[in-house]
Order: sequence, then structure tokens, then C-alpha cells
Amino acid sequence: MQEEKKTVIEEQLVVFQLSGETYGIEIANVHEIIRMQDITDIPRTPDFVEGVINLRGRIIPVIDLRKRFDLEVSEYTQASRIIVVEVEGVTVGMIVDSVSEVLRLPTNNIEPPPAMVSSVDAAYLRGVGKLDEQLIILLNLNKVLEKDEKEQLKDESLQEVAAALEE
Amino acid sequence: MSSFDMSQYLNVFLDEAEEQLEIMDEGFIKLEQNGDDADLLNKVFRAAHTLKGASASMGFTNMAGLTHEMENVLDKLRQGEIGVSQHLVDVLLECLDALGQMKQEIISSGQDQGIQTDDLVTKLKQAITQEEGSGAIPESKSDGRLERERKAGFALSDLTEVEKNLINSAEIKGYYVYRIKVELSPGCQMKSVRAYLVFNNLEDVGEIIKTIPSTEDIEDEKFDNSFEIFLVTNEDQNKVSNIIMSISEIEAVSIIPVSLSNRDTDRASSELHNEQRQKTETQAGQQAQQKQGKAAPKIQVQPKKVSQTIRVDVERLENLMNLVGELVIDRTRLTDVGETIKGKLGADDVVESLEEITVHVGRITSELQEEILKARMLPIEQVFKRFPRMVRDLAKKANKEIDFIVEGQETELDRTVIEEISDPLIHLLRNSIDHGIEPPDERRQIGKPEKGTVKLNAFHEENQIVITVSDDGRGIDPAKIRQKALEKGLITAEAASRMSEQECINLIFTPGFSTASQVSDVSGRGVGMDIVRAHIEKINGIIDIDSEVGRGTTFTIKLPLTLAISRSLLLRVRENVLAIPLVNVVEIIDVESDKIYSMQNQEVTVIRGNVLPLFKLDAVLGWPPREEKTERTKLPVVVAGISDKRVGFIVDTLIGEQEIVIKPLGDYLGQIPGLAGATILGDGRVALILDVRGLVEHTGVRSGYEQAN
Repeated sequence: MQEEKKTVIEEQLVVFQLSGETYGIEIANVHEIIRMQDITDIPRTPDFVEGVINLRGRIIPVIDLRKRFDLEVSEYTQASRIIVVEVEGVTVGMIVDSVSEVLRLPTNNIEPPPAMVSSVDAAYLRGVGKLDEQLIILLNLNKVLEKDEKEQLKDESLQEVAAALEE
Repeated sequence: MSSFDMSQYLNVFLDEAEEQLEIMDEGFIKLEQNGDDADLLNKVFRAAHTLKGASASMGFTNMAGLTHEMENVLDKLRQGEIGVSQHLVDVLLECLDALGQMKQEIISSGQDQGIQTDDLVTKLKQAITQEEGSGAIPESKSDGRLERERKAGFALSDLTEVEKNLINSAEIKGYYVYRIKVELSPGCQMKSVRAYLVFNNLEDVGEIIKTIPSTEDIEDEKFDNSFEIFLVTNEDQNKVSNIIMSISEIEAVSIIPVSLSNRDTDRASSELHNEQRQKTETQAGQQAQQKQGKAAPKIQVQPKKVSQTIRVDVERLENLMNLVGELVIDRTRLTDVGETIKGKLGADDVVESLEEITVHVGRITSELQEEILKARMLPIEQVFKRFPRMVRDLAKKANKEIDFIVEGQETELDRTVIEEISDPLIHLLRNSIDHGIEPPDERRQIGKPEKGTVKLNAFHEENQIVITVSDDGRGIDPAKIRQKALEKGLITAEAASRMSEQECINLIFTPGFSTASQVSDVSGRGVGMDIVRAHIEKINGIIDIDSEVGRGTTFTIKLPLTLAISRSLLLRVRENVLAIPLVNVVEIIDVESDKIYSMQNQEVTVIRGNVLPLFKLDAVLGWPPREEKTERTKLPVVVAGISDKRVGFIVDTLIGEQEIVIKPLGDYLGQIPGLAGATILGDGRVALILDVRGLVEHTGVRSGYEQAN
């Protein structure tokens, strides 16, 4: 990823709207963009997990990105879309308000995320891109799709191991 | 040879070695039971021989060396020079273990030098001397006869009547009959080819009426360095000898004239005979040939039996299975769409053809699915064949005599299930031998046959595989189990007093009931039975015990045929369609709402005198409570069972049975308690598959239908 940034001058982004702000994710991660469809509820999952859908025979989990970022929840509309992304072998659908365009953003227009740029926790952001006075918030998909609980679990078990070693 | 080629051969070699080792393993055990069975001895001898050849050609000298020694022993057994004894079988089995280790070594490091074989070779040799000393008297007698016959110029004991007749008629017509022993050079590479050349050249001057060993065996190189030929010819000994010696790699030839009559064997001096012979030569030649056509073996190039199988990567089969799963779903969708179109257009030619196509596609999909399922099936023999040896060793260790009966090896089941079932079965068999079967003394005292019986059986029952492990040992004493469970604090005294005998016996499945070190305290079983159950439940199976004190114990395991497709009960809770694997559905009942009672804050109902705990399925799944729109008078309840636990789940409506393809929920969601995965329904919607084990655990129900007071 780091090396890519050095050599590639432009990044291709899928740009979408969420709660009045414009976000971008790298097109390489985007599997496809589909309309809203019936979602089967899965019990005992975090609130932001809406359930699963059937994507041509594959069972794909779908998360609501507004809920994921603790933004204000709204009804789905005709414009709502599910962006199916694949990150490190894990495929997940993300519900967004609407998808606007695919655009090219020169890498030197990207800046590290300032603390107060958006309503989303800076931990989920990769940077901020500026294009024709438009601000595009770039998401760090790895972080977005990371399961907090899992991470905590890992840390805890690691701590246990560490504690055991100290004794 | 490039390394790629080598590795290819290596795999073939390893497969073959495995096969031969299995043949020997099975054979040695049978040998111990049946004694000198000629067919069996030949079979294991051939296996040892094949392995020797294969390992030598791959350069695994250690393995070749040991198999060579084993082959010697087996050959002596085959020839009747020594008899089968338990000690001998022990040694042979030890050798087999060593060969198995070498095989593993070859897999991991590509060489076979790490295993010491000197001890084994010594043991083998000692075993031979011992046996020779004891049981081979009658054989030496017959050897002596053969020797005398040889000296007298006869060697007729090996001939059949037909062959004797042939010799007789040849003699009458003035031909010589020789018994020729051909010895090949020790280093001879292609023995069968040499033998073939010998045959070929001799047939130019006469007819071969018999070979020892048989021509088939010679062709397959199933002989050491020498073989014998009975030849009918009009050439003298020197000529015949020269013909044979002209072939390279022949060490020595010895020719003994054979005669059935008392005439002088040296008939070459008789000119009369010579004349006669010349006259009748053509005629006799023809006759001899005709007779040979019937009686005498000729070199026939029998086509090697080509096995009609290919090896396929398991992953490829899994992929096929997934693809067919998709087809199954689309088939159902196609039917749905067809119905809709029919509803819109009514009777129409196009609709009719669509219906026809739909039906056809449906049928083909079903067949395809079935065939691929079958392709993934393996006979359970794959697992069972390892057990006779294990049972034998365990029985010996425990000083018990056990008759081990295996039935239904041909029963087929999915390879994923096969992989999982081995360990639990080993556990159960071990328990039967260690704790079930009594020592011979004890058995005699209570009037049982000294030899205990352990029986392993597999068969199909509807859509399931049933495997039973039974013994005629002491059985499980419920009273002792109860006491033990009390001591361990697994149950309260109050609960214990209420438990039925069957419930007590089922306590052995409770985690923590017993560990290996404490087993001897308990009459009966208990070694890791919770692990056995966990294993079986993991593959959606159930296990039941049926035991009678003093009479024996039977464990019955029921397993699904496959893990990829499951027959499930579809049901609806709110807007959600859910599937419960049918294996876990005990029964479906309607419970009237006024028959639901509250017991210690737990809803229960009573069926057939037993208390059944009831749970609302949506609540168990963790969906938030909802308001009942209308008070229902009858509630459909699915009674689910996992091992001995029974729980009633209240659902909204039942939809029916269906074959479903199990799909994982994916890495992102991971394992969700109570869910086994998801499937795609005919209308494209996703239905969740319930994991009954997880659900029941979540309810905290401990065991059984509880007895109503």
C-alpha cells in the first residue's frame, strides 16, 4: 500500500454520501454496488450488523455504515445502496445513503485526517482528499471492518499470556 | 530423472506402500485367527514382495531390507516349512509398525534410514528357527520323499493327473520329458523377461507342460531366483541345456529326465525308438499341442487389471458440491418463476415448454447432486479396517480374549463424516475392551464364554448412518454411576434420587464425570465420554447407550449421511424462516396454551408423563420480545434433541421439510452461538440454520425429559 502511493499518481475512488458528508473508498476494494434488498436478520450480532443477503448464491453480511459510525439513523430510500467490499478476503456489504460517482484523485491532494474533519471517529479515516473545493473523506476499510470485540479479545488473551510469562 | 518426476513417483509409491501395508496388517490378524490359510498366505506374501520391489526401486533400502526378511518368513509359512504362531504374528506386526514409521519418515524427510531394523530382523530369524524346531515335522517328511524321487529321476509329486497323462502319452510316442530347473543370476534385473526367453526358446524344440511356480506367477516375478519347467521334447539333455544357457543372466541349469514307466530313462540308445519317433513325430507333435491347449499353461500375456478409478483432489469435489448447491437453489427458483408466468399468461405453448424444461432441469439437477454426493462417499471400511489390529493389541495388553466382529464395512458415508468418526469409535472400542469385557477368569465364573465379544456394526437407516459398538461385558451399573456423580458433585442428592436408571447411565457423558486416572474405580466406562459425545455432536450426530448389568453395553451412534446438505425442518418465527436439521428434531407437537405451566420460572408442558421445558425460539435466539397480536390457543412446538437432552421450542408456524445446502455465514460474522450457518431458499431469500446444540446449551437444560412428579 505504502509503495503504491509513491508510484501511483492518482487514486480511483468510489464516492458515496453518508449523513450529508462525502466519503471515498478505493475502487480496488469494491466488489460491486447493489440496490437495497431483503436482509435477513441475524441474532446476537452487534447493532450495526443488519443481517445477511444472498449475493448470487453467496451469503454476505451487511452492515449499516451510519450505525457503524454512530451517526444518526435514517430510513433507507430509493437512493440507498449496498457497496460490497472485499478486504483481506473478507466480503462485507455496507449500506450507504447513496453512491455518487467514481473519480480520480491525485495522491498529493490527500492529507492526513485532521481531528475534527467529520463526525466519524478519526481512527476510521485514512485521510482527506480535496478535489475542486470538494472534501472527500477517505475511509480506512481495514479499521471499519475490524471487529472491536475481536480485537479486545485478542488483546486480553495476549495480556494473559504476558502475565503468565511474567510469573 | 527430474525432481518433479521423482515426487510424482513418490506419491504413487506411498499410495502403493499404504495399500500393501494394509493388506499385510489385515492378513496377519486373520492369519493369527485362521492359521495356515494358503490363499491368505499367498496374499500377504505378494504384498510383502510388491512392497520390497517398490521400495527397492525407489532406493529405500532400509524398507526393502526389512520387507525382504519378512518375505522370507512368509515364504517359509507358505511352503509349510514353519507354522503360524502368535509370537510370529507379533513379530510380523512389529515389523509392520516399523514399515509404517519408515513410510512416515519418507513422507516427512524423503528417506528411510532413521528406523533401526536390526532387532526386528534378528527377531524374525529367531522366530523362524523356533518354528522350524517345533512344528515342521510332517513337512520334512514330504521333503524327504521329494528328494528321493529326485534322486531316482522322478519328480512327480508336483504333477496333476492330467499332466501325468500328458507325460505318459509323450513317452509312448517316444518323446523325452525333462524336469528342468533354471537358476537366474543373483543380480538378474528383469527376471520375468529372462523366464519368458527361456520359455520361448524351449518352445521351439518342444512343449512346456508345466512350470513351478505357475506361469502367471513367473510373469509377475513371483519367484525367487529359480523356477522349474516340465518339457516334452525330442532333443537330448545337452541340447536343451545349451538352449537355455545361451540366454544371458542364467546362472545354472539342471535337467532331470522324468519317466512314469519303469523303462530305462536313457532311451536315446534305442534306435528302434528313434525310428518310431521319427515316424510319428508330426502326429505326436500335433497331439501334444492339442492336449496342451487344454492342460498345460502357456505364457499368456494377461492384461493387467486396470482399476477404473482416478484420484481427484478433494477440494475439486467440494467445489463441484458448491456449484450443484447453486443449481439446486436455482432449480427451485425456476419452478417459482414458472408458476408466476403461468399465473400471468395462463395456458400457453411457451409456458408449457418452460414447464417441461423446468421439470427436466430439475430432474437432472437432482441426479447430479446425488452423483456428486456419491462421489464424496467412502465405505466406512476406511475407518473400520484399522480396528482389528487395535482391538487385538488392546486385548492382549489387558490379558483378555476378545472376538472382534465387524459388520457393514461397505456402508458408505461422506468423507467429512468419516474423518470425524474415527476418534470416537476408538474411544468406545477401547472402553469396551478395558472396562466392558471381564477378564477370562471372571467370565468363566459367571458362566459366560471366556472369549468376550465386541461387535462393530454400520448400516443405513433412512437418511442416516447408524454405527453400533456393543460388547457382552459387565454393563454399566447405574447405581455406581449415580454414586460417583454425587461424589463428584455433578448432581445434587435430590436430583440423584429422582433420576431414572437410564438418566444415571447418561451421566457418563457429563463433562468432568471421569478422567482416565479414576476409571478403575468405576465399574464400566467413563474415559472421556464427554469428548466422545462432543465429537459426535460436532458432526450433527447423536449417541445413545443401552446397557444391562452383567449382559453388556451397546452404544448407538446416528450420523447424517453428509455435512454439506441436510434435510431440515423449515419453520417461521416472525418474518424469519429458520431451518432445524431433521436429525435434531425428535417430534413436533401442538401444545394447548392452557397446558403450559410454570415451574420455577420456567415454562413447561407435560408429554406422556414427562416434563418438557419450553422456550420461545425468538427469545432463545436473542431477538427482543414482542407483543403477541392474538392470544394463540395452540402453539406449534418443535421438540429438539441433542444427545439425551430434550427441549421444546415454540415457533410461529411450520413450513415443512426440505433439503438445504449449508453455507457458512462468513469470516466477518464468525461463529454465532445457536447458528450453524445459512441457506438460500427457493425464492432467493436467506434462511438461518439453527445449531440445536448451541441453542440447547443456551437454555441451560441439563438432561432428558424430566420426570413429572
